[in-house]
Parts: sequence; C-alpha cells; structure tokens
Amino acid sequence: MEIYLPIAGMSINFFLILGVGGLVGFLSGLFGVGGGFLLTPLMMMIGIPPAVAAASDSNQIVAAASSGAFAHWRLGNVDFKMGLVILAGGIFGGTIGVQLVKVLRAMGNFEFVMTVVYVLMLGLVGGAMFVESLRTIRRSKSATAEAAIAAPVSESGLTRLFNKLPLKMDFHRSGLNTSAIFPFTIGTTVGIMAAILGVGGGFIMVPAMIYIIGMPTIAAIGTDLFQIVLTSANVTLQQAIVNHTVDLLLALILLSGSTIGAQFGAVAGKRLKGEQIRILLAIIVLALTVKLFLDLVLTPSDLVSLAPAKGGGH
Amino acid sequence: MKRLAILSLACCLVCFWGASALAITPETQPKVITSASKNVVEIGLSYSGDKIFFFGVNPVPGADLVIKLTAEKEEAVKLSVKGKVGPLWMTVKQYEVTGSPFIYKIHANKPLDQIIFKETAQELELGYDAVRGKMKMHLVRGEAAPEDEAIVWKGLLKIKARANLYNIVEDPARLEISEGKLFKHYFRFPPAATEGRYQVESFCFLKGELVGYGKDMIEIKKVGLEHWFTQTSQKQPVFYGIMAVLVALGAGLLVGVLFGKGGHH
Repeated sequence: MEIYLPIAGMSINFFLILGVGGLVGFLSGLFGVGGGFLLTPLMMMIGIPPAVAAASDSNQIVAAASSGAFAHWRLGNVDFKMGLVILAGGIFGGTIGVQLVKVLRAMGNFEFVMTVVYVLMLGLVGGAMFVESLRTIRRSKSATAEAAIAAPVSESGLTRLFNKLPLKMDFHRSGLNTSAIFPFTIGTTVGIMAAILGVGGGFIMVPAMIYIIGMPTIAAIGTDLFQIVLTSANVTLQQAIVNHTVDLLLALILLSGSTIGAQFGAVAGKRLKGEQIRILLAIIVLALTVKLFLDLVLTPSDLVSLAPAKGGGH
Repeated sequence: MKRLAILSLACCLVCFWGASALAITPETQPKVITSASKNVVEIGLSYSGDKIFFFGVNPVPGADLVIKLTAEKEEAVKLSVKGKVGPLWMTVKQYEVTGSPFIYKIHANKPLDQIIFKETAQELELGYDAVRGKMKMHLVRGEAAPEDEAIVWKGLLKIKARANLYNIVEDPARLEISEGKLFKHYFRFPPAATEGRYQVESFCFLKGELVGYGKDMIEIKKVGLEHWFTQTSQKQPVFYGIMAVLVALGAGLLVGVLFGKGGHH
C-alpha cells in the first residue's frame, strides 16, 4: 500500500514506515532509550530526505516522550525546577541548531555533518556500552559480581567543580544544591544536537544527569522526558517555520508503529538480563556506526546529488 | 553615416529572413489530432504515479512519430558534487543548473537519428544531446574544472532517470502505429512528478521533414489532505508547526492513558 508524503514529496510503502517505526519502538521498549538516534538514519536509508527525516523525527519524539513523561509525572519522578533550567538551555540550543541546519543545508553539506556527528556519537556510546556490558557479563560469571554492583557512584570531580560555580539553586526533588550553569550548558548542547540529528538526546542527557549532576536515576529519567517533550516541541516548531521540513503524516505513521512496537519491546525486555540487553543494543549501535562510516569513506555510487531546494524538503 | 544605417538595416532584415526561413514552426504544421485518457491527475493520499494513454491520428500516413513529454515550467536545480577531502567524501562544489527540463520523456517509433537530422533534433529539442546543449551551469560554490560539465550532465541524467523523470524509448512496440495512421501509447507519470502543468507534443516526420504537430496539456495537482498539508506548511508555517506539536502531544498523552505506563523510555 503506497502512501504519498506531502512534505517529503515522495510515495512510499505505508507498511515500510510503520515497520521502521515499529522496529525502533520495539528496540526502545526493550532498551529503555528514546530511539530517535536510530530512527533518523533508518529513515534516510529508506530514502526520506535527511532534513525531512530529522524534522519529522523530532515531531514523533514529542508524542513518544509525552506519553512517558505523563506516566513519570503521575509517579512524582519529575524535577520541574531542574527540568526548566535544562529546558531553557535546550530551547536556546535548539534555536541555534535549527539555524545551523539552515546554513549547512544551503552549503550542501548537511548530510555530511549529520553523518560525521552520528558516527562519532554512536561510535562513542556504542563502544562504551559494549565494553561496559562485556565487563559486567564476565564479572557476573565470577563470584565477585555482587560486590562490584553494590559499589556506590562516587561524587565526580566535575560535580565538585560545578558546586563551586555561581548561580546556586536548590533542586528539592533531586535533593541537590548546585549551580544552574551546568544543567543549562548540558541543555544547550543537547538542544543543538536534537536539531541537527533529530534526536531527543536522552542517551546523553540521562547519564550526564546521573553521573555529572548527581541526580537519582529515576528522577533523571522522569525529568529528562519532561524536558525532551518541550525541547523537541520547540525544535519541531522551529523546523516548521524555518525549514518547512516537518512531515506530520510521516510522524504520525512512525508514531503508530513505535507505540505498538514499544509495548512488545517492554515485554521482551523483562525476559533478558540488563547486561544482555545493553550488549545487544551496543552491537546494533556499532553496526549502524560502521554502515555510516563506510558511507563516508567508500567511493559513493553517485558523485552528483540533488541539493535541497530553498524552503522545500525535496 | 546614412549609408551605414541603411546597410545595417538591410543586414538585419536578411538575418531575420534567414532565421525565419531556417526555423521550424511546429504550430503552422498540419494538426495531429490526439486525445488523452485524462487531462488532470490528482495527488491524493495513495498517489504513486499515474499512467495516461494517448491516442492520435497521423496526418501523413506512414510518417514517423516522435512524442515528447515535458513540464511547462523550467526548472532550476542545485546539484552538489562530491569529492574526496582527506579520507572522507563530502560535497566540494555546487552548480546551479538551469534550462534543463524537469521531466523529459520521448517515445519514437524508431531511433531518433533515423528519423531526423541533428539540426532538427537540436531545434525541436528532441533527444538528450539537445537537452544537454540547452543546459546552463552556474558555479555556486567551489572551484570549476573543465570536466565538470560532463560530470554534472551525467549525474543529472542518472538522478532523473532513476526517478523515472527522464527516459527515451525508441521502439515501435512502445509506440504502436496501426496501418501507418492510428497511433497509441502511454506515458507513466512517476510519483516524483510534482504539481504543475505538463505538455505532450506529437511530432510527425516524413523523410526528416516536420509534417504534423499536436499538443496535449496534462495538469497534476494535489488534492484533499495532501493539498492542505503542503499549502499550510508553506503559507502558514507557524500554525502548521503549532498544530504538528499539538497533534503529537495529544497522540502521546492518548497512548500514555491507553497503555497506562506509556510507550518509550
């Protein structure tokens, strides 16, 4: 069944998009990550123009994250004050990011920058996760597993440094008293990436909130989801206004697929051990990294490509 | 001075006569009567291109037929050319290409070079050589090189052919002519053929001379939801953006309520 995407300006199989959404939803349900970082490259692989893929993915994330944020809000896991500080950074960064996309598209190297950033980030995250989970699996085979897991996360040097910065604030829900500058900076960085890559940024934000800011894990996840909703809403709006690249139809089909997939993923996730899940995710991420990296270094089959027309996604 | 003026005027007149004597004016030829299976194509939700049949009567029995499909609007496209920078492949220059048609399809009952002379082909823009001759390139970014024209043309042709926007079929089976008079064929409008007006021109040639000409217009337009999405996103981007966010929020909250726990994370 073919469906015509109005903004992407192309006809594509409805079930292919639903399937891609479903697959990413399944993985995100299984691994507990947003999945935006997998969705954009997958959409590019099936032929959606990169700028439309990223913008529509942001739109899809608004929906996906809001359902999660709603659940966490009901459980009292959202630190609104922290969320708003990060959000201020996120909106600032998102606005810069969209303008950056505009400049890069005009220069014709948007796809290149996007691929390079993806390769670096996915390689880093995938590699770190692979090593960490492999270590955990090895360790759990030996008898000392319990002791290692029980070791508390020590206060990092960065946390102490940020405690010395001005603009100190009380974050009740997280039980912290720290400088607002750091969450703002993190928010800005992730906001820029959200615009360029069409990702929510949860896979960088949550570790940063836990290990660097020092928030409790569950509050970090809840707060992250809350700010993702608003950050990606801002990116969606900016993309719609500046680049006209949000394909709502595409986003809705992806959303339908990913919400169904996520339910199955969550069930599958309960049957696997944490480190098994992580190593699986690491392998997927690394495979994607290799594919994108090869695109950069192998001689392309087409030397000449269509540069995006002004103001249109096709 | 006066003599010079008269001389130059005479020169101009001779040139003008010369040019008009050489130029082929299809509109003055006997009309090829044609009929299309439809003249309006609507892009709806399930649009995946369309096939339109054309029927016609050859005014000179036994004459050869060349039928050309082009878009009414001219197109300006920006093409990125990749090059190697260190170990990485990236865009190194960009050309703005004008004068090349958005869509270009030809059906002929035998190879074009057996039907018409090069000059005629050039003048009536029949065949890829003629299209290439009309293409103009303007360097937007990077450094020009002598082989660029060939690279850009080859790249453009590949992109267009892949999207099924350019093709030339020189085959009597594809353009059926029964008893040298009645002809029938179809053009496939690919999904990449966007909104706009398209023209289908039928040329009849006898021993290389144009002896008949006909023209059909086809209009492609988006309708319903497709039309509304495209128009709104271009003309009211703020409203469209807010709507996209609200729809996504609504859908997310709905899912959150339906499944209790929510999908992601």
